[in-house]
Amino acid sequence: MSGGIFYEIAKRNVRIHLLRSSLAMLGIIIGVVAIASMGILGNSLVLTVSDSLKTVGDSVIVTPHVGGNTRGFGGGGGGSSSLTLSEQDFMQIKRVSAPNVAIPVLQSSDRMQLGVGSDEIVATVYGLNPDDVPELLKLKEGGYSRGNSGCLVGSTFAKDHNVKVGSRILIGTDGNKGTLRVTGIIEERGMAFDVSTDSAVVATKEWFDAAYNRDNYDKVVVKVKNLDDLPIVKSAIEKQMNKRDTVVDVMDTRKTMDTIFQAFGQITTFVSAIGGISMLVAGVSILNIMMMSVTERIKEIGIMRSIGAQRKEVMAMFLYEAAILGIIGSIIGGVMSLLGGYAISTVMLQTTKYLFVPSSLIHIVYGMTFGIIICLVCGIYPAWRAANLNPIDALRHE
Amino acid sequence: MSEQPVMVFQDVTKVYPLPAGDVTALDSVSFQVERGEFISVMGPSGSGKSTLLNLMGCLDVPTTGDIFISGTRIGDMSDIDLTNLRRDRIGFIFQYFNLFPLLNTLENVTFPLMLKSGKKADAERGRQVLRSVQLEESLYSHTPTELSGGQQQRVAVARALINDPDILLCDEPTGNLDSKTGAGIMDLMTELNRKGTTIIMVTHDHGIAEYSKRTIKIADGRIVS
Repeated sequence: MSGGIFYEIAKRNVRIHLLRSSLAMLGIIIGVVAIASMGILGNSLVLTVSDSLKTVGDSVIVTPHVGGNTRGFGGGGGGSSSLTLSEQDFMQIKRVSAPNVAIPVLQSSDRMQLGVGSDEIVATVYGLNPDDVPELLKLKEGGYSRGNSGCLVGSTFAKDHNVKVGSRILIGTDGNKGTLRVTGIIEERGMAFDVSTDSAVVATKEWFDAAYNRDNYDKVVVKVKNLDDLPIVKSAIEKQMNKRDTVVDVMDTRKTMDTIFQAFGQITTFVSAIGGISMLVAGVSILNIMMMSVTERIKEIGIMRSIGAQRKEVMAMFLYEAAILGIIGSIIGGVMSLLGGYAISTVMLQTTKYLFVPSSLIHIVYGMTFGIIICLVCGIYPAWRAANLNPIDALRHE
Repeated sequence: MSEQPVMVFQDVTKVYPLPAGDVTALDSVSFQVERGEFISVMGPSGSGKSTLLNLMGCLDVPTTGDIFISGTRIGDMSDIDLTNLRRDRIGFIFQYFNLFPLLNTLENVTFPLMLKSGKKADAERGRQVLRSVQLEESLYSHTPTELSGGQQQRVAVARALINDPDILLCDEPTGNLDSKTGAGIMDLMTELNRKGTTIIMVTHDHGIAEYSKRTIKIADGRIVS
């Protein structure tokens, strides 16, 4: 193949029509940037959410069934309309989940003060068995509370209200539920399905029962050691608890997370597809200028063919031209996507750590590849047309 | 082997089917061209000159009859083979020079050589042919638009000669030149023919036709003398 000279002609033709070529390339640049930066943004969002959710991906969460016929939850409470799980329910869940750990959780919201006379705030209060706490929560500072007057607080709670290990919190209006001393600060957990402790207070179950006069549970969290067992544990609980009526709702957090990521993935694909439309428009402009290039050079094609250039060589010359536009446009677009992605990540996510990871950078490769492919595809028809011109007619063309 | 005619037309007819009815552009034309001949083809407009030129240049194939180029029958050749034949055996010289505007003199001349060899241009061979058509060395890097008409036609002649063709096919080679420059080109043709190149020249200029050794006159698609 005498590809060299045809490539050279294609290159010079792009250069001689610099303005026209640049405008066509601009379309490709915009297309690549649209696809790549949308992809990067979507992926960064997924990574951000997944980072804040990954600590809870190993749980099965059992909550009372909402909205169906109940058999009177609340066990001993008889006729209580509040949706809770009884001790008996918990024991059944614990038995079918073994050897995985089942953790009963009590939950409420209450007013509290961080010292006598200070402003009242409202926060979530959890009640957990002291033995279960290390299974569920990791501490940033201090130690786990043993006694009933100790509590843990979430990291956001501690930061917002300037709470330290040793601080005292008055729970209830004017501290009517008692005073708790902070023994430890919980590591940030982010958004969680089991217990969201970042802005909460975690007390002992015993204290919680006494303060709120409760002996039933709001939910049971089963920590599954082997992630592959998640669906087995989930169905075992459902089978045991929902024999006749639907008594409990069982949520497999990993599945929920998968659904969330799937939704994010679909959004990313959709937004990238919108970017893809701009690439198609760019493709049409490439087709247009390639057709123009062929029309302008009909006579030249005729001369080439008459002195011995094969059809495939003429075709290659025009495809080279489309490829040059595609490759240069895509490279510029790729660089701009990286810069754009950096800017968007900095502004929207306040971090660029999700930009320089393969799953984000691959979107630049996708954008660039799509750009080059679109250019080549849109170059095929004009190139084919040029190659199949009748040399006699082409020579006669003025 | 060297006595074989470079071109043979045997009873060649070319019919163009048109909606208004078939047009017979060439009607049972037969002639042959021996190696080293200098022939001019003359005839009025519409006589079939262009059709004859297209057939001689293997840009088209006859409807009936046979054409042989150096013993090779072109009638049922594929497009690829016809293209290779044009590249290797025929040198084209056009009225409007038809150089590639994006290539410089040397690249224009070596273009057919690159098509043939598939390799990078053999610049030395290009220079050698350009010297043989008496073009100044300082012009080798110029683009066609920077050359005069006469200079462009010399480049075109060099391009036609680069693959050492069996036949040089010229279509009104001086038609776009003033008489003095045209005479210079014809002197060059004569010189090439003297060195052994076979030349067939289509023209309607009697003065130019006088440079050739034989004239084929054509009218209404037939050879008249």
